[in-house]
Amino acid sequence: MALPIIRITLGFMYFSAFLRRVVNMPAKMIPSSPAYVGGKLITFIPHAWLIGGLLEYTIMHPAFLYDFLVAWTVLEAVFGLFLMLGFMSRLSGLVIALLAWGIGLGAAWIGSTCLDEWQIAAVEGAAALVFVFAGSKWLSVDQLLIKKYPNGLKIGRWSLPLW
Amino acid sequence: MNKFVVLLAIALVVSTGYTVVTYQEFFGGFTNLHNYSKTPGYVLTGTMLYPNGTLDLQVANEYGPDTYGGFIVLVQVLNSSVVYQWNASQLGTLPKSEISNEYPLHPAHSDGFALVVPLGQNATVVLHMPFSVNPGKYTVRVYDVDGQYSSNGVKFQAQVTVG
Repeated sequence: MALPIIRITLGFMYFSAFLRRVVNMPAKMIPSSPAYVGGKLITFIPHAWLIGGLLEYTIMHPAFLYDFLVAWTVLEAVFGLFLMLGFMSRLSGLVIALLAWGIGLGAAWIGSTCLDEWQIAAVEGAAALVFVFAGSKWLSVDQLLIKKYPNGLKIGRWSLPLW
Repeated sequence: MNKFVVLLAIALVVSTGYTVVTYQEFFGGFTNLHNYSKTPGYVLTGTMLYPNGTLDLQVANEYGPDTYGGFIVLVQVLNSSVVYQWNASQLGTLPKSEISNEYPLHPAHSDGFALVVPLGQNATVVLHMPFSVNPGKYTVRVYDVDGQYSSNGVKFQAQVTVG
């Protein structure tokens, strides 16, 4: 019953990233603007872990960087919203966990106050992974789906437990 | 043991593992605690000094907060004493043509008050002494606007050899 308390806030963390970049300040997604989010990746480079080479490649290829940002923002918007709605919570939790942990490999060294980015990556990653196992019952779209399809999405002889 | 419990155990190990491993990797939390994101710091690896008095200052900003860049207000060439130095008003008014940036976004630039090097950027700044230099070993050093030439256990200087 208590899971929506964390699920809705966690989803909003990701869905609101989309709102900021697309609704509040569209300049964040315009490559020629000083507000362009792509510039954040440069700040990750000095002490990134495991993905330094990938970050450098991305920054040196502006077209790829733009596509990467669009794809990342779409994932944040879609799965952040899904998590808030409790729709395909198990899948959404997995995607959000990978986004949180993935960005942490680059950004986690940053945070002059309280190891900020590291805390975000570690806590949001762990919290999102909970939903892979817990799913959503109360206050979710999934509870309607569970009633109709208790074994998840059936593809041939496989049943995927997306909710 | 059923499949769910096995997967749950794996998830617990991955999630907790991410937290403790990144804590050590990014902050040395279990050995020597550090936070590279607090104080600006520059690495001058690759800096070259030529007999005609031209200095190719290779400056990478690898420490400090992500949102505010680093401000270099003094560049010195030293042997036993200061051979030549460039002050804030000179560094603050360098022509764009003398600064080349490794990454296309967040370029290093003069802002009228200092040489600004955003976090993560690695720039080559060409500076000219009004005289030629004798063969020998020199130290090239930069000062951040906070008056320091070292932070995070790193000195903002490089040894160069002329001739």
